[in-house]
Amino acid sequence: MTTCKTASKRYAIEFGAAMAAYVAAVFVSATLLKTVTHAIIRPAVALLPMVPAVFVIIAIIRQLRRLDELQRRIQFEALAISFMGTAFITFGYGFLQLVGFPPVSWFAVWPIMAVLWLAGLWFSKRRYAGGDGGDE
Amino acid sequence: MNNTIRDLRAAKNWSQQDLADQLGVSRQTVNAIETGRYDPSLPLAFKLANLFAKRIEQMFTPD
Repeated sequence: MTTCKTASKRYAIEFGAAMAAYVAAVFVSATLLKTVTHAIIRPAVALLPMVPAVFVIIAIIRQLRRLDELQRRIQFEALAISFMGTAFITFGYGFLQLVGFPPVSWFAVWPIMAVLWLAGLWFSKRRYAGGDGGDE
Repeated sequence: MNNTIRDLRAAKNWSQQDLADQLGVSRQTVNAIETGRYDPSLPLAFKLANLFAKRIEQMFTPD
């Protein structure tokens, strides 16, 4: 069975490489968009970063599959908190837009999700850690 | 669920990390099981039983 350290190292490599490719694609896409004017090609160029983003998704799913049963449960709880919290916030703001609040970019959704995911991880890890166990 | 994992591990002079490595789980998971905050799945309970040469019911008892 893969040890936790090996799994973490593999994830760091896969995720790091995918993110590096994503950042490069964002840079290339932004540069090309300054010169490309063709109405059909521009959306394709704008979506260029989504190609390496697929590999980011794959890296995360592969890591989730490598986790042990408790770590998976912690992730499940954290993702559920993030999922429901994001729905709560985005729907809440959506209703506020009905009464004149300014529109917000779709780019705002992921940071909300990420912050709630981290908060969920902290909350869920706390539930299973501590007590009289500690590091030995 | 109560368990005797901590005592069994101490008897073998293993750290939580030693036990975790043999089970293929994280040290945090071993700690959570020992403190009763997490009840392992049946496959993991069987792994523990095999490792300590005990029956599952000798290691785990209901609250």
